[in-house]
Order: sequence, then C-alpha cells, then structure tokens
Amino acid sequence: MKKSPSIDPHSSLLRVRQSPPCFKNLTVVLRPQLPRQRSSRSQLKVAEISNLKIKMVSKTEESQLQQLENQVENRGGGAWEYLSLVRKLKLRRSDKVLKHGLTILNDPKKRSALGPDEWTLYEQVAIAALDCQCLEVAKDCIKVLQKKFPDSKRVGRLEAMLLEAKGSWAEAEKAYSSLLEDNPLDQVISMRRVAMAKAQGDILGAIEWLNKYLEIFMADHDAWRELAEIYVSLQMYKQAAFCYEELILAQPMIPLYHLAYADVIYTIGGLENLQTAKKYYASTIELTGGKNTRALFGICLCTSAIAQLTKGRNNEDKEISGLAAAALEKDYKQSSSSKLSLLSSTLRSLKIQ
Amino acid sequence: MNNGGEFRYVIDQNAYIKLILHALKHKTSSVNGVLIGRLSGDVVEITESVPLFHCSQIGLLPPLEIALIMIEEYYSAQGLSIVGYFHANERFDDLELGTVAKNIADHIYRYFPQAAVLLLDNKKLGALRNKKDTAPVMQLYTRDSSRNWNVANRITTKEPSANILLMDFTSSEKWNDIVDFDDHLDDISKDWLNSELFK
Repeated sequence: MKKSPSIDPHSSLLRVRQSPPCFKNLTVVLRPQLPRQRSSRSQLKVAEISNLKIKMVSKTEESQLQQLENQVENRGGGAWEYLSLVRKLKLRRSDKVLKHGLTILNDPKKRSALGPDEWTLYEQVAIAALDCQCLEVAKDCIKVLQKKFPDSKRVGRLEAMLLEAKGSWAEAEKAYSSLLEDNPLDQVISMRRVAMAKAQGDILGAIEWLNKYLEIFMADHDAWRELAEIYVSLQMYKQAAFCYEELILAQPMIPLYHLAYADVIYTIGGLENLQTAKKYYASTIELTGGKNTRALFGICLCTSAIAQLTKGRNNEDKEISGLAAAALEKDYKQSSSSKLSLLSSTLRSLKIQ
Repeated sequence: MNNGGEFRYVIDQNAYIKLILHALKHKTSSVNGVLIGRLSGDVVEITESVPLFHCSQIGLLPPLEIALIMIEEYYSAQGLSIVGYFHANERFDDLELGTVAKNIADHIYRYFPQAAVLLLDNKKLGALRNKKDTAPVMQLYTRDSSRNWNVANRITTKEPSANILLMDFTSSEKWNDIVDFDDHLDDISKDWLNSELFK
C-alpha cells in the first residue's frame, strides 16, 4: 500500500475529469517578438505580429490541426477549415497560412464563396504576410481592407503593424500611441509595444511594458507566462518563480505551470528549493496521471541532488525515486526500447538504481 | 599546455547540417545543441551533434542535466565526448553570445578545455542563397585563460560541399524530420540521435 498516493504514477485516479492540456502541446501563438526569421529564404526582417499569446493546445486539437495541415498540403482541400482552425487556436503557422490563404484570395470564385468571412481572411493573410516579410502582399491586403472599412481601428492596427514589420519603430510607436489614446484598454496594442521592445533587443524595456500591462490586465495568464519566460532567458529565476506562483494560484489544475515552476526552483538550487521542486514535480505527475516524462526525470534529479546535499537518502526519497525510475523504465520499454539501457545507466549515474 | 587558441576545428557535414536544420525548424525561438567529437593532435574533430532544445525554457537546468548525462553516456561508449556547444539566438541580427549560452559553455569547458562554442550567423545563412561560400555560417568562440569567450577564425567543414548540401535540404524542407531532445522529452518514441535523418 503506497504511503504517499499523490506520487503513485500508476494511479488511475485522474483527478481532472477531461484530459488536461498536455505540456507537450505547448504551442506558441504569435509571440511578442517576431524575431527575424533565420531562413535562407529572402526574409531579412520579420514583423512583430499580433498578440503575445502562448496558447495551450489540447491533444485532440493538435491532431486535428496536423490532419488538416497534411490534407491541405497534399492538395486534398479543406484550406478554409485549416485557416479557421489556426485562427481559432491562435497559432503561428504563417508560411502555410500565407500560401493557402493567398490561393483562396486570388481566386475570385473561392473568395466570393466566403461571404463576409472574406475580410477576416484578408486580415489573417495580411498578418501572416507580415510574419513572412512579404510586405507587398501585406500592403495589398491592407489596402483592400482600408477600402472596405475606412476609418476602422482594426485596420489602423494592421497599418501600424506594417510599420513595425518595415522596422520603422518610431512611426509604429506613434501609430500605436494614437490608437491607444482613443482606446486605452486595447490589449492587442499594448502587447505590440512589448513585442516591439523585444524585437529591437530592448529586453528590459519589454519587461517594463509587460509589467505595466499586467498591472492593468492581471488576469492575462499568457502574459504572465511570457514574462516568466523572458525572466528565465535573462536568468532572473526568482522573478520567473514569482510569475509561475501567480499562475499556479490562478489556475492550480494546470500541470504545465507546476512543471515550469519546479524547473525554475530546481535551477535556483539549494536544499529547500530542491524539496519544493520535488513536490511540484510530484503534483505534475498527479495532474497528468503519471504521463509526464519531464516530471518523472525531475523527481530523479531532485532526489539525487538532495541526497548529495544531505549526504544520504531518506526512505521517502528512495521510495519516490524508485517509483519514478520504474515508471520511466516501463515507458521506455514500451515506446523507446533502443534507449532503455541508456536510461538505466543514466538513472544509475544519478544513483537511483 | 596549449590553450584553446592554437587548435583548429573541423566539423563534419552531417553534424553541421543537423544543427542548422534544427535552427531552421524553430525559426522563432532560440535553439541549442551539443557538439560531439574528439581531439586529434591539434585538431578538434566535431563528428556529431545533438540538437537539444527549442523551447523558451532553454535557461533551465533539469532538461539540460538529463540531456547531458544521456548524451555523455551514449557517446563515451564510442570513444567520443562532448567537445562544444551550439547556440542560435532568437533574433535575426543578434550576434551576441548570451549569458545562458556562456554558462552552458563554461560547464562544457570544465570537462574539455578546447571546447568550441558555435553561434549561428543568420546573415551569413541568408547570404548563402546568393553567394557560394564554403565557410560554415557560424561564429566560433574559444575560451582563453582569462575566462572570456573570444571569436576565433579556425573552423572549417570537413567536406567543402557542406553548404551546397545544406541549400538542397533547405529547399526540400528537410528540417521537418529533425528531432531534438525537447521533442524526445515530450514523446520518448522520438529519436534524438536522428539516426534516420541522412539515410
């Protein structure tokens, strides 16, 4: 009888009713900083588009997307469904969106079949074009929208994004400021400011803007995650930990936050932090029904590091690490048998076995 | 004892291409990888590479530790060791070796003093379309005795046609087949050794 049920990786008692969004499907949606694409294709600069939303996509949505993508790529039709799904999930698939969106827009019959959705598609393609640095395409789309919706704030936003894509930072900043004057609570535009700062390499400025944004929109979880990730990239782990703490408080059933928090806390180090990290890896395992490889490894790393610091392993740690190791071995035997011996020697070097 | 300044670095075509394909697969984030090889006289031969991570949590320890242990275990059986680190920055025009990269590199240096750090140069990569160039599109850094990582000019690809092959792969979008350690941790059936990649 297991003493600590919460870390029984074989427990089938899934507390969460539906399958939780898997960490694996952490898909980045329109990041704040559209870094210049390092492609050997023409693009030298990249636009910073849309929101900084790192959306979590569920497994079913991911496989649906993959299926549609393959279908469309192999000329099986379904382009509009694919584009709608990308729009709904707020994913960043700019090269495919551009390709398939343009196919629809350049065909007058297909275009008119869309009805009022035509304008949504123009907007989507414009943004994708900006991301791929196809500025002419973007300009054309924006012109069409301008004609249809003169004086529209939404189109005004696209125009400002075009300035961003060109690298005319000062003008883009002016455009955004004036848009914000009329609508100070526009989240998208406030985010664009963060994006621009990041794109210009002004990471500290991005942090400042993001903090200001969060003072107003403190329930924006994706923004908290973005901030945490920026802090991690600057190795400001304590600040990153704070962000994840906010997220766990707000949404305690999302395993992703527990896992990320555990990783950050482990990285900071120290006996107390290692103990805390171990707890959060354990809660991740509980929330994912034992399916999270990273958390299982995390437990092994924590118990190994704790043993080194305390010069000995207590019984509870031995038990936990034994369970985690057994779960890993079972998974590897099933899905990655060629690497099983490698796993065993890794666990041995962590003194788990 | 020779310092890193007197060694030449030669990188095998496959190792080189793997790293760049990895960077191309994840255009919008930083990526990193380790270089595997051996010291042979005054030449550091980089015979293999393993792409590591592409998510924004590149600065976190746990996945890195597991990766390094596994990679070290696997390659030491073949008489190879970790001889360097590859990094590609998030932004196109960022040619600076960041602190995370430096920290990881320092760690590798402790075990292999001739360690090489390679930083992807996006402009050179972009220029390959228009101009034939056999030089690797990466900036090499080696560490001197005062603990600084300095730019050095002593890296070549083993096969001069490496960039041509790279361009071929780019046009066929071969980067879709690359698997890195992040992918492996998300789905352990994915092979971070990429043993099927060049077959």
